[in-house]
Amino acid sequence: MGNRTYEVMYIVDPGTEADKIEKLNDAVAKLIEKEGGEVIRMDDIGMKDLAYPIQKKNTGHYVLFEIQGSGQEILELERRMRVNDMVLRYITVRVDEDRKKAEKLRNKREAKAAKRATFRATAEAGETTETAEVEAEA
Amino acid sequence: MADNEMEIMDDRGGLGVGEDVIGDRPRRYQRRRPRNMVPDYVDWKDVDLLREFVPERGKIMPRRISGITAKDQRRVAKAIKRARSMAMLPFVDD
Repeated sequence: MGNRTYEVMYIVDPGTEADKIEKLNDAVAKLIEKEGGEVIRMDDIGMKDLAYPIQKKNTGHYVLFEIQGSGQEILELERRMRVNDMVLRYITVRVDEDRKKAEKLRNKREAKAAKRATFRATAEAGETTETAEVEAEA
Repeated sequence: MADNEMEIMDDRGGLGVGEDVIGDRPRRYQRRRPRNMVPDYVDWKDVDLLREFVPERGKIMPRRISGITAKDQRRVAKAIKRARSMAMLPFVDD
C-alpha cells in the first residue's frame, strides 16, 4: 500500500478537562506512530459552536490531525474513537488524491498563462515588463 | 420571446427566486450567473467558502442558481456534506 494522506478531525465533549483532551491527543499521535503512520500536522482548533446539537451539546472541542501512512493506522484509530465516550464525532478524509488533482490543474493554468504572456510579449515588442515576468515564472 | 421575459426578470434581480409563468411553463429561477470562484481544491473545512453555496434554509444551492460547472458542483456538494457531518454546517436551518 502506498503513501496516503488523511485528515482526521474529531469533536471532543465540551465538558472534558483541558488536560484530558491533551492526553487524548497525545494518545492519538502515539497510536498513529505505533501503527506505522506519521503525524504531519496537529491542530487543536478548540471550542466551536455546533451547527446543530450533538448528544444535547451545543459546543464542541475540535481537533484536526493530518496523517501520512498506509491506511492501517486509520482503521485502528477509528475503532478506538468509536468506543471513546469523549469523542462526539469523527471524520477521516483522504486528501492526497484531490490535492494532486488540484496541483495538476494549477500547473496547467500557469503554463497556459505563461504561454499567453510570451505570445503577447512577442506580439507587442517593447513590453519588457511582461517578458521579465515570464522569465521569472519559468 | 420567452428569453426576453427572462432578461427583464434578471434586470430586476435582487429578489432572487421569482415566479413568472410564460405560456404553460412556469419558470421559477434566475438565470445562472457565471462564477469562477471555486478553487482547485475545495477544502471541506473552509466553511466561509461553502456558505456561499448554502442559502439560509441550509440546502445546497442547485447548479442552475450557482452557475458553477458540474465538476465544481460535485466537489462543493461533497465538501458541504462532509462539513455537515462535523456540525460545521447545518442540515436544516429554520
